[in-house]
Amino acid sequence: MAALSRTAETGPVPAPAVGAGTGPRRAAHLALRVAGAAARRALMLVALLAVVFAAVEVLPGDAASASSERGESAADLDTRRHLLGLDRPLWERFFDWMTALPTGDLGTSARGQKVTDLLADPLPNTLVLGLSAFVLTVVLALVLGCWAAARPGRPTDRVIGHSATAAFAVPEFVVSVVLLTTLSLWTGWLPAVTVTGGDGRPVSWTMLVMPVLALVIPQTGWNTRIVRGALADQAATPHVEAAHLDGLPLAHVLLRHQLPGAIPAIATGVATSTGMLLGGAIVVETLFNYPGIGSLLAGAVANRDTPLIAGVVVCAGAVISLVLLTADLIRNATLGDRA
Amino acid sequence: MSTTALPQAERRATHKARNTVLIALAALPLLLALTGPLFAPHTLDTPVTAPYATPGGGAALGGDQLGRDVLSRLLHGGTLLIGSALLVAVVVTLSATLIGCVAVLRPAFGRLVERCADVAILLPSLLGIMLIALAWPSGGRGAVTLAAIALGIPYAVRIVAAAASPLAAAGYVEAAVTRGESTAYIALREILPNLRSTVLTLFGLRFVEAVYVISMAGFLQIGPQPPASDWSLMVRENAPGILLNPWAVLAPSLAIALIAITVNFATTALAPDTSPKAATRS
Repeated sequence: MAALSRTAETGPVPAPAVGAGTGPRRAAHLALRVAGAAARRALMLVALLAVVFAAVEVLPGDAASASSERGESAADLDTRRHLLGLDRPLWERFFDWMTALPTGDLGTSARGQKVTDLLADPLPNTLVLGLSAFVLTVVLALVLGCWAAARPGRPTDRVIGHSATAAFAVPEFVVSVVLLTTLSLWTGWLPAVTVTGGDGRPVSWTMLVMPVLALVIPQTGWNTRIVRGALADQAATPHVEAAHLDGLPLAHVLLRHQLPGAIPAIATGVATSTGMLLGGAIVVETLFNYPGIGSLLAGAVANRDTPLIAGVVVCAGAVISLVLLTADLIRNATLGDRA
Repeated sequence: MSTTALPQAERRATHKARNTVLIALAALPLLLALTGPLFAPHTLDTPVTAPYATPGGGAALGGDQLGRDVLSRLLHGGTLLIGSALLVAVVVTLSATLIGCVAVLRPAFGRLVERCADVAILLPSLLGIMLIALAWPSGGRGAVTLAAIALGIPYAVRIVAAAASPLAAAGYVEAAVTRGESTAYIALREILPNLRSTVLTLFGLRFVEAVYVISMAGFLQIGPQPPASDWSLMVRENAPGILLNPWAVLAPSLAIALIAITVNFATTALAPDTSPKAATRS
């Protein structure tokens, strides 16, 4: 995979070694590299949006007929189609929407509301949910992966490995149901549904515990396997074997010699979690009645509300792009000059 | 020589035995899910007890929101879920293997595939399924299956291409190229036979992923519609009554978990190289 993807990333000018010199040339080179990677990610996002626009267009039904009332005449439908701009060619609508995007304007939904207004309340809630889950899963995966790698082949390693395999196969809503029955119904420790206050936020932080756990458990299974695999690859490298032969303490070798080399692989693997977390969030939000973009999205797709769907996709895509870009940069910073 | 060869042969034998056990363990729930309807004590849609009745009387797992027998619906509910997941896994694995083999032989095509996969990774698969299935409401389960296939292929191609790219540089492939063999011949006769273990692992992981995606979609009520009994739909429908009869929600949830976990274990055991880096899930 790495051999296939690393074509355009290394610049023509060989950069000085990492950490050596902080001259303006190096800073300029770094800025250029960051800008190039960011531009590539942005271009991919635009391509994705074009595909989404086209997909919604090609599929049967449109916003006008999806939001129609009973007994509306064909003429009424045509009027609304005109009001929504659906009679204009697709590329024209896409161009208008894309050129407005840099100004922070996500367009107007099929029901006439600004998309940014519709997203203003639920998006931060979903980001809070997703970010807490992301941080927690990364920390847990690093701890579990290192713990397993410190005892290769021993029972601890096997138990962690098998639990991780079991955890990542289970859909989030199944985890949610099990959590709900054990932590809420049978023990009464946590509230079963999220109650939203006047400001559109959950009333109490305890309402975040179960949704976050439901997202964290499968993802931790996934990420633990990535961390464990990356550490195993590093364990086979000469410098780690040499460190072992030098009689350095196991924990020291693991954290100082194995882990740094494994970081690029871990960063890339963990970055794929973002998409799964956001997808899982849609389901978990529905089950726990959490006020995020999940329910908003379900309605938007049913109404063929292209601007609103595109708004959600652009937000999800931007978050994922940002995480992937960070992973790219981590990989470049640690490997780029050597590779 | 003989001292090192013996334990290795022994280890291989126990490894093989363990794999057989794991595959049997994975096959059992699968078989039960597919043949379940034969054992169902009641029909799907006739109420036999009170809504959300606790287990007892004629219903071993109690009643659902309409008083229908949870056990019978559970036994019926897996067939289509497992069936469509199998279909998705077969189609995705086959097409990804073919595309992946060609991609490593034709670099220009390989780069195009790579770019498409890069773009596809920005769309969470569930978002993609919602988009396709809800925008095509009459599509039902077929739309979800199609969407799962379309969204699954890019990732699977990357895995095949990653496994096949060292083979493309192998001597016997270069020999075939200089012999003037066609791309199709090289892909099918030279590269594919050496990808068996990758393709088998891929198939298992795609199956787990398909169960995951299809049941998530079912839970969001995309695909199978209410009178149908489907595990994920049962979870969604009976969630409001979880206080009265938790088994109506727990039983189908555990059934999905059991299938996903056992198949995933069997797949992992089959994998020749346990490095999870190649096992990118969408």
